[in-house]
Amino acid sequence: MVAVAHILESIESLPELPVAVTRITAMLSSGQADLKEIEKIARHDEALSMAILRWANSARYGRPGRVFDLGESIVRLGGKTLLKIVLQQKVANLFKDAGSAYGLQRGALWRGAVGGAIAAEETARKHSFKDWELCFLCGLLRDVGKLAMESFYGGEYATLISAHLTPGRSFVECERAAFGTDHAHVGAELALRWRLPARIADAIRHHHEPPAEEPEHDQLFDIVHAADMICLWAGLAIGVDGMQYKLAPHVRKGLNLDRKEAEMDIMVTWSRLRELEGIMDDTSGEGAGP
Amino acid sequence: MTLYDPVAKVGGLLHFMLPSARLNEEKADEMPAMFADTGIPMFFKTAYDLGARKERLVVCAAGGAEVLGDDGHFKIGSRNRTMLRKIFWKNNILISGDDTGGSICRTMAIVIADGAVSSKHKGKERVLWSQ
Repeated sequence: MVAVAHILESIESLPELPVAVTRITAMLSSGQADLKEIEKIARHDEALSMAILRWANSARYGRPGRVFDLGESIVRLGGKTLLKIVLQQKVANLFKDAGSAYGLQRGALWRGAVGGAIAAEETARKHSFKDWELCFLCGLLRDVGKLAMESFYGGEYATLISAHLTPGRSFVECERAAFGTDHAHVGAELALRWRLPARIADAIRHHHEPPAEEPEHDQLFDIVHAADMICLWAGLAIGVDGMQYKLAPHVRKGLNLDRKEAEMDIMVTWSRLRELEGIMDDTSGEGAGP
Repeated sequence: MTLYDPVAKVGGLLHFMLPSARLNEEKADEMPAMFADTGIPMFFKTAYDLGARKERLVVCAAGGAEVLGDDGHFKIGSRNRTMLRKIFWKNNILISGDDTGGSICRTMAIVIADGAVSSKHKGKERVLWSQ
């Protein structure tokens, strides 16, 4: 068994959170998204500028026969869309090459991250949860612990976990049996090392097992958990863990998640993800379209 | 699911996600392959348009897994499996290779040159059909 701190301390190249994400996270946590600041971040990043141009000139936001430059694009998209583009684009670099230890092909972990962000945002809006941007961010980062587990265990991960995979047992329980910890806890500790707010770290920590009782209960955790399940049903980023996760009963009841709602959520998440990929395909050249 | 006509060498793979287009018909018009009841007929029709013949078709299925502890609330995987079988039964289609159910993830592949179909789970490959 290896302690979480040891895992994080032993990784030579600990994944780094892009500065832009840290700055945006601070804005979201204080409840004030500073659009001027987001614009500044966007203007100083070539890949980001490219993404913004493509978005503003896409079928959804653009106008036939009219090409918007960067300044016009920023105005046209508006702060909230801009914020999502910045987050998606910057976090892409973290995830794009990872996931092989979890049996995922290149890019799959990233698709799962963006799918989770979309599903969390949609769920938050549906339930009039005001901090939808925070839900989006937590959905995006929820599996960041997989990066650390992969960096620490490398190719050994698959061998070690396979001895503990038991049908009917949730994957996080299997990870705890194999490693003494799981990717959700490691992800939360990584988030704290990145100096992200404790609530975001807790949303990552609880994304598979959100607490039902007060005072630990938080609707943010429920939403991120539901988003994770929607991604599973949508077949996003399923690797060696398969579908060995459980939906918390209090989340099902609290968010009124029934079969029809779940199917609608899967449909919406998948459609929005496809739309994003369609827009971003040509910009990234990095295999990481949000 | 995959289908393959060994004579016409026409084949393909359809990954649908939900059982019925009744959920949202507008979306089904836009993305018919997302739903079993619109995607499967479209898949067969496309194969026929390319020269495939029903009596020669080899059809395989994989996936339809379920999350743990569903307790009958969602059953999305099993409803997908049921819809697939219902459509096949109505149209006299037999499944030649099947790897469905459980809570495991599979990757399905078809080789168009010879129609070989396999599913993969945790790096282990299982041949569902080969000539």
